Amino acid sequence: MATVQRKRGGPLQGVRVVEMGKIWAGPETGRHFAFLGAEVIKIESLGSLDFTRNTSRKGDINKAPGFQSVNPQKLSAQIDLKAGKGVELVLDLLRESDIFVENLRPGAMERMGLGYEAVKAVNPGIVYVSMGMYGNDGPLSYQTGYAPCFNAVGGLSALVGYAGRPPTGINVRYADSTYGTAAAYAGLVALVHRRKTGVGQFVDVSACETMTSMIADTVMDYTLNGVVHGCDDNRHAEMAPHGAYPCQGGDWISIAVSSDAAWGALAAAMGRAELAREPRFRSLADRKANEAELDRLVAQWTAARDVGELVSELQARGVAAGKSQNSIDLVSDPLFWERGFYPEVTEPDGHVKSTVGPSWKMTRGAAITDDAPRLGDHTAYVLGDILGLSPDEQQKLADAGITR
Amino acid sequence: MSALSTYRVLELSEGVSGEYCGKLLADFGAEVIKIERPGTGSRTRSMGPFGAGSPDPERSGLFAYLNTNKSSVTLDLSTDAGVQTLARLLDHVDVVIDDHESGWLGSVGLDPACFEERWPGVVLCSITAYGQNPPEDRRHAEDLTVFHSSGWGYHTPGGAYAELPPLKGPGRFLVSYEAGMEAAMCIVSAVYEREDSRKGQFIDISKCAVMASRSDYVLAQFLTGEMDVSTSRGAFDLGGPAGIFPCRDGYIYVWMATPFEWEAYKQLVGNPEWAKDLPPDWLMRGLTPELIAHCRRDLCEWLRTKGKDEAAVEAQKLGLALVPVNEPGDLLASPQYRHRGYFAQVSHPVLGTALYPTVPYKLSETPARITSPAPLLGQHTGERLRAVSGADVQGRKS
Repeated sequence: MATVQRKRGGPLQGVRVVEMGKIWAGPETGRHFAFLGAEVIKIESLGSLDFTRNTSRKGDINKAPGFQSVNPQKLSAQIDLKAGKGVELVLDLLRESDIFVENLRPGAMERMGLGYEAVKAVNPGIVYVSMGMYGNDGPLSYQTGYAPCFNAVGGLSALVGYAGRPPTGINVRYADSTYGTAAAYAGLVALVHRRKTGVGQFVDVSACETMTSMIADTVMDYTLNGVVHGCDDNRHAEMAPHGAYPCQGGDWISIAVSSDAAWGALAAAMGRAELAREPRFRSLADRKANEAELDRLVAQWTAARDVGELVSELQARGVAAGKSQNSIDLVSDPLFWERGFYPEVTEPDGHVKSTVGPSWKMTRGAAITDDAPRLGDHTAYVLGDILGLSPDEQQKLADAGITR
Repeated sequence: MSALSTYRVLELSEGVSGEYCGKLLADFGAEVIKIERPGTGSRTRSMGPFGAGSPDPERSGLFAYLNTNKSSVTLDLSTDAGVQTLARLLDHVDVVIDDHESGWLGSVGLDPACFEERWPGVVLCSITAYGQNPPEDRRHAEDLTVFHSSGWGYHTPGGAYAELPPLKGPGRFLVSYEAGMEAAMCIVSAVYEREDSRKGQFIDISKCAVMASRSDYVLAQFLTGEMDVSTSRGAFDLGGPAGIFPCRDGYIYVWMATPFEWEAYKQLVGNPEWAKDLPPDWLMRGLTPELIAHCRRDLCEWLRTKGKDEAAVEAQKLGLALVPVNEPGDLLASPQYRHRGYFAQVSHPVLGTALYPTVPYKLSETPARITSPAPLLGQHTGERLRAVSGADVQGRKS
């Protein structure tokens, strides 16, 4: 449907996405689409900026690192949606688009005149992806929150913590990008349906339910057996040892033993092959029954060792083990660099840098070349190339303060 | 008509990531044929939670959840006949999902390097811990070790707990669910492209890269030096008084960062003296340990007599992002989850009838639906093999 002019390859080449995403989750959805080859146009305005445009220490909204992290390879059109004419322009753009993504508060799009019915009226084939903490409607949909709230509501936070203490939850940054991915998947399913039938639809995504889906089997233990799991350090019902163990220099190693054979290999590495034959540690059930002592013995062994050497030794013996990577390790991990996970992109001012690319590799993936746009970098492209407005008409809109 | 009902998917997966990926497609109507090893079936059949009675391959709640809407065909891929049957099946499918370790596909005749030549129209997706051909020290992995390689482990819970060991993520399979969802997203995009190109492609999903990309907001800033890299366990953290706090019947989580939320907080706890002259943006620019302590103390005092849902309603009405820390029972009782129909009743011939979590997105025209429970082991072997390829069942152990 859309006639997209910028071609980078990838499975979504030729697909046009309009994104009104804020903070992290909505923009993450747009980011996936962009990384899969779609043309993603962010609608922004100075009057209601994405908060992450304010994360620059120098106060430069066009070089804000938080914003740049989640918005590479997108276009930006600056259109004031407080003006009726601005909303008309966006509707005109949506008429020429395939997918619309928004994660504003429930009801905000309707008030603006950009609710599903209004957009459907101009483009019945549109895939309208609406994202909300609790979804688009329902008794609690008025409530709002950020990533850690989704984890708390979804049932995840109650599962992470030290035994006998209040829950801590997973790191505060977790949830938005997961939720953004669920929205991208659902939107693409709807796009496939549109491709085959011409029929668009409304896709209503709940952040909290996305998070619950990440622990669905734990929830099944409740619906089947009434079992409620709580904070249990690093324990795992089917593996022991299973945890993070201290190493030299403040490092940590993660070890997960999934079979008696792997346990035998770990015990041998510890120079204590006999442990695997002792009744208290022989089977998984034995190890689970004596897990505190088991963990103590493993930790005692790892504590004075170098984490890299330990990982190599355990891997050579067939034991699942890995360094608990800190932020220095993450940016220097050779596997990430070799994979192309940190592609080079060019900022609008010509500066070249590395950013986080797509996790996947595919035979005909899209080229990733550009960093996030400056505010309004592509307003002229949208107004002129897509909407066919003359330079005079564009100037009038700018003079009226509707576009910039 | 379901959105994906014209696609046939062959699922070779035996782990949570590939099975979850297949489920996400099957729940939108894709015909997913699951290949299982004769005798024991998929590995997930041997993992809990088990329903009442003795643990057996038909009583795994994990398998039941992950394999709704699929059919099960047993095929012994350790025999030549099994591998040949598999090759014939490949001529009749659109998508193949696998989640065995790198190299396994080659061992059953589906080496990604020559796959496209033999089956140019098939989308093949391989989910592995670290991508294809990992180095020696990344060959053996579980979700926990990937969680730690990706950065989430070291930084969970965060800097405030640096004297204690880092913690695993919630549940057993967070990493696998994440990778399965990423795989489903990539597969559907490839299937979309294939409508025009008629070409399949190979998709390589690395669980570790998926998890690392989930921290893109901070990781990209580490790469450019905008955020400092260090050995700190708090490198991912945000400052401030936000956190989990006890209340009368459990815990709540509260988020506070903006002037708007600060106003709401003050109103909620009754405009305490210490808060009166603070600048409205102190939560963003003026954090001190003393102020954070004051802030938390008064919140805890206010929460002491409140239930978690009651507290959320009062705070949210003022604009404060305060929510309950839920357990599964809370989710089943949640009026919001009920309103959206998140839990669906599914009847399984052995496991019985139970409520299953469904999907977090509602599609107005093509909603995801569970139309059949997880298959019994080998339930569709003869029927599916014949229907799909006309193949006989030589590859199957009787």
